[in-house]
Amino acid sequence: MSVHASKDFWAGVMFLGFAGVAVMTARGYSVGTAGRMGPGYFPLALGMLLGVLGLITIGRAIMDGSGKVAPMQWRPLLVLPAAVCLFGLLIQWCGLAITVVIVVAASAFAARESRPLEVAALATTLAVFCTGIFVYALRLPLPLWPAF
Amino acid sequence: MELTANIALGFAVALTAQNILYCFIGVLLGTLVGVLPGIGPVTTVAMLLPISFTLSPVSALILLAGIYYGAQYGGSTTAILVNIPGEASSVITTIDGHQMARRGRAGPALGIAALGSFFAGCVATLLISVAAPALAAVALEFGPAEYFSLMVCGLVAAVVLARGSVVKAVAMVVLGLLFGIAGTDVNSGVRRFTYGLQGLADGIEFVALSMGIYGIAEIAHNLEQKQAQVAVTDRIGRVWPGWSDIRQSIPAILRGTGLGSILGVLPGGGALLASFAAYTLEKKVARPPRHFGEGDIRGVAAPESANNAGAQTSFIPMLTLGIPSNPTMAMMIGALMIHGIAPGPRVMTERPELFWGVIASMWIGNLMLVVLNLPLVGMWVRFLRIPYRLLFPAIVAFCCIGTYAINSNVFDVFVMGFFAVFGYLCLKLDCEPAPLILGFVLGPMMEENLRRTLLISRGDLTVFVTEPISLAFLVASFLLLLVVAAPAIRAKREEALQE
Repeated sequence: MSVHASKDFWAGVMFLGFAGVAVMTARGYSVGTAGRMGPGYFPLALGMLLGVLGLITIGRAIMDGSGKVAPMQWRPLLVLPAAVCLFGLLIQWCGLAITVVIVVAASAFAARESRPLEVAALATTLAVFCTGIFVYALRLPLPLWPAF
Repeated sequence: MELTANIALGFAVALTAQNILYCFIGVLLGTLVGVLPGIGPVTTVAMLLPISFTLSPVSALILLAGIYYGAQYGGSTTAILVNIPGEASSVITTIDGHQMARRGRAGPALGIAALGSFFAGCVATLLISVAAPALAAVALEFGPAEYFSLMVCGLVAAVVLARGSVVKAVAMVVLGLLFGIAGTDVNSGVRRFTYGLQGLADGIEFVALSMGIYGIAEIAHNLEQKQAQVAVTDRIGRVWPGWSDIRQSIPAILRGTGLGSILGVLPGGGALLASFAAYTLEKKVARPPRHFGEGDIRGVAAPESANNAGAQTSFIPMLTLGIPSNPTMAMMIGALMIHGIAPGPRVMTERPELFWGVIASMWIGNLMLVVLNLPLVGMWVRFLRIPYRLLFPAIVAFCCIGTYAINSNVFDVFVMGFFAVFGYLCLKLDCEPAPLILGFVLGPMMEENLRRTLLISRGDLTVFVTEPISLAFLVASFLLLLVVAAPAIRAKREEALQE
């Protein structure tokens, strides 16, 4: 089996990537000494440790191999974060009621088996429910209606 | 008697109308998410964290705790009736529980699961009230070196108990620590890993991170799985187990409770480990051993008692040391911090009403759960007919609202989106998120204790091995790692952790 499809290989690459970012960034902070740790000391140490762990993971993937990565399912992976971001973009502008309707409808696209009428009913119910619970019962500081 | 006075104080707090209500809501929600596969207590607690902000700290913890142990009750219902674990910790119950249901003995299985859980819950509650003050007294003597080593030990234990590769789990811990220390450094005021983003000045919001990983990413993962056709056993029959069932189950319940209580306290432990271990033990020691796997009631009684005992005793390290043993406990620490309470041994002396109130509420909650679960089991089963396609958009909406509400900051919602993608990748690459969450919570505390230790010792690292308590923790961590690395035990561990 090709190494490039293995889970551990890509996990190692991910760790190595985060380690690289951590070390590069932490180098910008003063490291200090062990007795007087600067803000860069702990992150730099963690970053280097993570890098080593990443290399070990990759090394073991190449030596022993590991399970193949299951095929990516792009639909939920793209739709769900997009729905989340939509909430972030709309909430202050449209208010809770409208935003919930839109976000519920958008996230329903993540599943193939969603049915339009059902989603519409669900979105309306949830908008009413969320307004009742979060705005009226719990009094969270959420804008309810569009700001214009 | 100090203990009785403390317990009396606890009940005085827990028995106010308001707290009874929150306890009830907690166990009700817990049972519901326990019954429903695909949504677990971690997600639910994460979703309710922002709401708990509007409550008093005691009510908030009572509510959140109820969800965790309530889910242990609910999970068994699905396991027995549908052969799907409603909760990870009831995986093992499916083996004998569902066999019993297929033989028309679903009622006694449900009954013994609830009664065993209730007994275990009572014992665990008592254990917490005895053990926790003693442990807190010891922990008060801890200096920064001891604390640092204790956290190392806790994180190592979390790694050992994670599924899959140990190296990857350690890497996830380290990554969690790195995420945890992002934001303004308390000592120097330097903003670390913020990349000029104002929203990261106070660090990565815990709620956003945990809901991204345990809320949204989980949904994406669940949607990939083929939706199993839910075939519910309709005939439940008499719920009260017969006398012979009870007599047979008593030793199993006792063993399950004992083992579960011990395993819950260990860092990295909790309900999941407890149920697996209890079933394995039961298969070894129960006499006569014959019927396991074919609907033996002891195969239900032992793990169900153990998971509830473990769920509750895992509060001990959280409440006394401020160290979470599993992701749900990390959420509890998050809840305390939202209220400005620094978790640790001082909570018990400075906020006794908080500590004892939560403990008393556990006992009340367990009582409510027996009532909720035994006569109303038919109602819970009906919830299983809700298709996941209607459930997940609601979870997405709740996660968004919760994350936004915590700081009224849109930025946190985008952070959640980021961690949703990250969490999905982790699941794809077989990287357990639990060690990451624990690392995230402990990151700032670990850095602070390391800094203090080395400041006192003037940069001398040997202080960690010359202080006896610190040395003991480090030796324990080392032994744990060694144990996992040893090939014979490794094979055993893989076998035990296999689902």
